[in-house]
Amino acid sequence: MDFDLMVEVTPLLIRAAWVTIDISSRAIFFGFFVACGLVFLQTLRFAPIRWFARGYVSIVRGTPYFVQLLLVFYGGPSIGLRLDPVTCGVVVGAFNIGAYMSEAIRGSIESVDNGQTEAARSLGFGRAQTMFYIVLPQAASLMIRSVGVLAIVLIKNSSLVSIISVVELTYQAQRLIGSTYKPLEIFTLSALMYIVIIYAVMGIIELAYRRATRYTTQ
Amino acid sequence: MEFDFSAVITYFPTLLKGVGVAALVALAVALMSVLGGLVVAVISIYTNKVVSAPLRFFIWLFMTTPLLLQLYFLYFGLGEWILIPAVVVGILGLGFHYMAYNADIFITTIKSVSGGQYEASRSLGFGHWRTILYIIVPQAFIRSIPQLGNNMILMVKDTSVLSAIGVAELVYASQYAISVSFRPFEFFIVIAAMYYVINIVMELGQAWLERQTSYRH
Repeated sequence: MDFDLMVEVTPLLIRAAWVTIDISSRAIFFGFFVACGLVFLQTLRFAPIRWFARGYVSIVRGTPYFVQLLLVFYGGPSIGLRLDPVTCGVVVGAFNIGAYMSEAIRGSIESVDNGQTEAARSLGFGRAQTMFYIVLPQAASLMIRSVGVLAIVLIKNSSLVSIISVVELTYQAQRLIGSTYKPLEIFTLSALMYIVIIYAVMGIIELAYRRATRYTTQ
Repeated sequence: MEFDFSAVITYFPTLLKGVGVAALVALAVALMSVLGGLVVAVISIYTNKVVSAPLRFFIWLFMTTPLLLQLYFLYFGLGEWILIPAVVVGILGLGFHYMAYNADIFITTIKSVSGGQYEASRSLGFGHWRTILYIIVPQAFIRSIPQLGNNMILMVKDTSVLSAIGVAELVYASQYAISVSFRPFEFFIVIAAMYYVINIVMELGQAWLERQTSYRH
């Protein structure tokens, strides 16, 4: 192990790790809205819109994230969609995680006992009120962990953005390995940074979960 | 914007060759990751801490770092010692990655097989390792099938990442055709469609396999 080299490249890798955090957090943030939109579309009465939402989710989940990224970045300009690499990473990440997240959200809403809805409706709550005051608070505790797992998957997938030359953690690591020929040192450092990021996110998820279930006995 | 799929048709045989390479890689990785994962899980459960601790560390390490980073590490790391083709690096990298995920599944399913099975088998005269091999592992394996199927579907999609280290699979195979024809959109749409079809076929296969094996427990 060449510790001098490790000390030397640490600032570069930390700067790159910030880019990873930046891209991932923006993608997760916007992805949440995409997911909510998809869940909402699937509750509408007009069938073609429901089919569109289901088809979208199925296609995004059925094709590799990597190919989606290449399609939008290299294929986008021919349909008039020119995005710089970072924006492309955020947009594709958001639309990708949105599809997965919509399934997680839908699943957690459906797993709330139907009796809860019926009881709320018979007590005079409207449809929206039932959803926001009765169903969603109960679904939240289930949602947090499944959405959290998806967020962690997205952080790991954000490494693929390096292919379209965004200088994030994996890109920087690959470049440094190429120029220093010290794969073990660079890998150890960059893996450590991913681990720190992922454990931080896991901590946030756990805190959110505890808060969502603070009135739940069990 | 006008779409022109004629270049895609011209280079379709190249794409099909890429599908073939991807399929072979996926098959090798599936074998390696399922069998390896099973061995890793059994060893890490039934042996002492000195053996199991490093194994669990590697499972944890492969699950918390991105696939692409592992691939680069393996590609440059192995490249220092021996000259091996990218396909082998790709199979090893993807194989180790999913071996960790599969081992994680096997560890939970092996532990979920009730202890009564072990005791009954021992009292019928099976030895320790025979009990594990003939009684515990088959039951655990069948319970793992749904999750293993999910992992293998994810794995097939991840073969596309191997193009980054130069494995001549579907995405890599299209690179030349794209650089000649300047039709990235058409090519990537067709590639995505191919993956989608493969994905649907695999999901149907998984559902069939689950139906075939679900009556046993």
